[in-house]
Amino acid sequence: MKNVRNFCIIAHIDHGKSTLADRLIQHCGGVDEREFRDQILDSMDIERERGITIKSNTITLDYTAKDGKEYQLNLIDTPGHVDFSHEVRRSLMSCEGALLVVDAAQGVEAQTVANLYLALEYDLEIVPVVNKIDLPSADVDGVLEEIEEDLGLDPFDAVPCSAKKGIGIEDVLEAIVTKLPPPKGDPEAPLQALIFDAQYDAYRGVVLVVRVKEGTLSVGQTAHFMHTDKEYDIEELGLLRLEREKRKSLEAGSVGFVIAGIKAVRDIEIGDTLTDADRPAPAPLPGYKPAKPVVFSSMYPLSSDDYPDLIKALDKLALNDAALTFEKDSSVALGFGFRCGFLGLLHLEVVQERLQREYDLSLLLSAPSVRYRMELSDGTELSIDNPALYPDPTLIEQAYEPYIRASILLPERYIGAVMELCRERRGEKTTFSYLAVGRVELTSELPLAEVLFDFYDRLKSMTQGYGSFDYEMLDRRPTDLVKVDILVNDEPVDALSQLVHRDKARARALHYCDRLADTIPRQQFKIKIQGVIGGKVIARSTINAYRKDVTAKCYGGDITRKRKLLEKQKAGKKKMMVVGSVEIPQSAFIAVLKSDSSS
Amino acid sequence: MTTSPSPGLYVHIPFCSAICPYCDFAVTTGGSERRGRFIEALLAEIGRDRGSALDGWDPFDTVYLGGGTPSALPVDELGRLTAEIGRRLPLADRPVISMEANPEDVTSQTVAGWAQLGVDRLSLGIQSFDAVELAFLGRRHDPAQAVRAVELSLASGLTVSLDLIYGLPEQSPPAWQRNLERAVELEPHHISCYQLTVEPGTAFARRSRRGEWNAPGEDDLAELFFRTHEFLATAGYPAYEVSNFARGPRSQCGHNRKYWEGARYLGLGPSAHSFDGRSRWWNHSAEPVWRSVVEAGGNPEADRETLSLEARALEFVMLGLRTPCGLDLGKLDGFEPEDVLRRNQRVLARAADEGLLSVEGERLVPTLGGMARADAIARSIELRRSRGFGGC
Ligand SMILES: Nc1nc2c(ncn2[C@@H]2O[C@H](COP(=O)(O)OP(=O)(O)OP(=O)(O)O)[C@@H](O)[C@H]2O)c(=O)[nH]1
Ligand code: SF4
Ligand SMILES: [Mg+2]
Repeated sequence: MKNVRNFCIIAHIDHGKSTLADRLIQHCGGVDEREFRDQILDSMDIERERGITIKSNTITLDYTAKDGKEYQLNLIDTPGHVDFSHEVRRSLMSCEGALLVVDAAQGVEAQTVANLYLALEYDLEIVPVVNKIDLPSADVDGVLEEIEEDLGLDPFDAVPCSAKKGIGIEDVLEAIVTKLPPPKGDPEAPLQALIFDAQYDAYRGVVLVVRVKEGTLSVGQTAHFMHTDKEYDIEELGLLRLEREKRKSLEAGSVGFVIAGIKAVRDIEIGDTLTDADRPAPAPLPGYKPAKPVVFSSMYPLSSDDYPDLIKALDKLALNDAALTFEKDSSVALGFGFRCGFLGLLHLEVVQERLQREYDLSLLLSAPSVRYRMELSDGTELSIDNPALYPDPTLIEQAYEPYIRASILLPERYIGAVMELCRERRGEKTTFSYLAVGRVELTSELPLAEVLFDFYDRLKSMTQGYGSFDYEMLDRRPTDLVKVDILVNDEPVDALSQLVHRDKARARALHYCDRLADTIPRQQFKIKIQGVIGGKVIARSTINAYRKDVTAKCYGGDITRKRKLLEKQKAGKKKMMVVGSVEIPQSAFIAVLKSDSSS
Repeated sequence: MTTSPSPGLYVHIPFCSAICPYCDFAVTTGGSERRGRFIEALLAEIGRDRGSALDGWDPFDTVYLGGGTPSALPVDELGRLTAEIGRRLPLADRPVISMEANPEDVTSQTVAGWAQLGVDRLSLGIQSFDAVELAFLGRRHDPAQAVRAVELSLASGLTVSLDLIYGLPEQSPPAWQRNLERAVELEPHHISCYQLTVEPGTAFARRSRRGEWNAPGEDDLAELFFRTHEFLATAGYPAYEVSNFARGPRSQCGHNRKYWEGARYLGLGPSAHSFDGRSRWWNHSAEPVWRSVVEAGGNPEADRETLSLEARALEFVMLGLRTPCGLDLGKLDGFEPEDVLRRNQRVLARAADEGLLSVEGERLVPTLGGMARADAIARSIELRRSRGFGGC
């Protein structure tokens, strides 16, 4: 056990965690050169396409250190995006140490700080790694200073490297074995194993990823799941190489996988403790609070025939994604669908993309919303995240909306602009403190609804990429909420209704009207688009009827082509939503709803 | 198809001196040697021993030499072509022969030569009478050549048609109006006005993709369309199709009308399409591919489709709505007119309300506004199951 090291790689998004993991894996011979590809641990299509990590990944490596000894390294690569910070939290629970990667050109950013705090919360030993030193814009000295000033870590412990160029990789490995502590624990003690991740395997069901804290986990044992109070027989266990490697047992200190005939990820809890049913531990390990969805949106299949497939697909996705919630919902314009909860907008996009790509479903998503609480005059309370369920406004005594505390790291010179952004977004208690030379940390208490949409993009552009942002949930505060409906030729498009702060209603409604006017194709008649609160029109736009829709030329060879095009368009018409006899293509919904996050 | 009109013959000559940036026809440049080989191959295709399916063409009463630029071929080569057609293919007593020509090829000698070969109609690729517009369109003639070409052609007694293009980026309505006025002043028999469309694969498409294209707005294009129709009608050139205007029925292009009326046609040469009333087939469009197959004694057909009743009906409707005389549902193969009218009652009533068409017995007759939206109307008409093609 002395020769085991359990560590995770944490950092701000894109600072090179997965690339560093690649080099460590290759250095330790963890992958055949033929099978190697960049960011090899990012195995989901969507991760590869977007170049981001979404799920944590664990791999066991063998390393022969300079001291001549063989070490077993259990490496966990984590995601950097704030939507997935629960993945980081879980990973930290199973480690003794963390590599805190900092991009030498970007320096310390908001999730660097946030993830460091998380790691300290779990008492982890930290080794700072300054990555991307190969970049011409790298400022290693500046970053070391930030590590000292902003993070309070010893810059002399920091290991410079270039994951991309393979520079300093051995130094990183040596730091892992010399600076990070080995796990403690007694293989003879009653079993305590922490479930910190789970994957779904189409053939084997749920594959648990566990860290054995005390005792020994063996094949054949009956495991008692202490929180859920269920028992399963251990069918198979072993180490997580690139493929699973079977073993007979896993001892205290080790990390590995467990298969125990569990059907769905829903049946287990991440953070639960496994113990031996015959010789149970007195108490479970400290638990883990699962991440709760904060953004809600309804999903509708474009073709109602796909509804059963959507149910199946969501069930399957949920096997692997415990944070995703969903329940039945329906829309007049869009038919049957599901109200889904997400950890953030990136999570929403990821789920939508996976449904479209992996399950071939064309979907429409309604405007995302946060969850409001309402006190009604009859004394009852309601939680509302779906505008369709918004009560009669005269019955609402008081509405509350969720607030977050934002932590924004930025160069001093942009502070004025960013404070203005926070003000615009209804920020309260906006203050800042100085970090290393020329840099500040700004904190502000903001309504979640105001940061969900394009806040980060705005921040990035106004700070020329140097501002970074992290947030934590705070509380719910009184708010002045209204429901904005969008009418097309006087009929409401329920999927576009939304709950917004009164001060923001007009701008939002105008924006929706304009985007719809841009994206709904002209039709035979004039189309009127309005944004209304109750019966009151607050925004409007019109689409004039087109006067011409005919191709210029139609001779011998064009006829087949032209007819086929018409056939295609006719088929396309069937897929359109019809509201107030106006045909609204999917693309219009997408454009309107997408622009929410980038307007 | 018992009382159907005589079929037409189309021959595609793919060569041009340069490729215009808007052109998506099967065209190529190529020197005299390549053109020579092409003519040999075309003669071979004409003389090809056709399978039984392709025999039995009724005599063709129209012959259309299109391209490409047929006028770029030497007159004697064209002569070999028309002679071979006359020898090998069934022709009506006095078929109307049309030919496309570019202004720079029109001289008193060439025009006389073409007339000698039996050419009746010349379709001139004028496109514009404005030097800047011509340069933008990549044309190889100037306004003076354009005018001269029309005058020479008219002087030789041929029926003359001018092709014009409108809707160029930056083109103002008055600028287009001047083109129309110039065209009418020359008193041709026929004028075709096409809206410039950016077709995939063309140089204009690449420009547009790079964002170097300032496309006129939909409303502006609609405006130009209506102005064109109104101006030409007043000037004595009523439209008989969306883009085609003639001084009178006798000046209309009988060959092109066959396309819109569902008549049969045989196409020869690369990319040429043929239609026998039920099936449509087309030759390989790349000249070298087409040629190599023909030279090897093969069938240059690239593909074919047999049209379902629904597909034929859709074509019938979409093409009929492009003409002011509209379409006669009674001629719709496999459909009962009452049935079609009943099924589409709502759509037709609305279109009539908006002044787009009138239902006259079993005929659908579009107004000018209706012709302008022919595609939209065709899309909204429901055609499911139920006799032959027919035109006005
Ligand atoms: N020049 C240079 N680029 C690097 C280096 N390490 C990583 N990169 C690049 O930085 C980008 C992000 O790398 P990743 O390894 O995916 O970053 P990550 O931290 O895993 O990102 P998330 O998982 O999305 O948080 C990629 O384009 C890498 O090629 C380095 O040492 N030098
Ligand atoms: S001359 Fe006519 S056929 Fe030839 S490239 Fe130009 S437009 Fe196309
Ligand atoms: Mg990563």
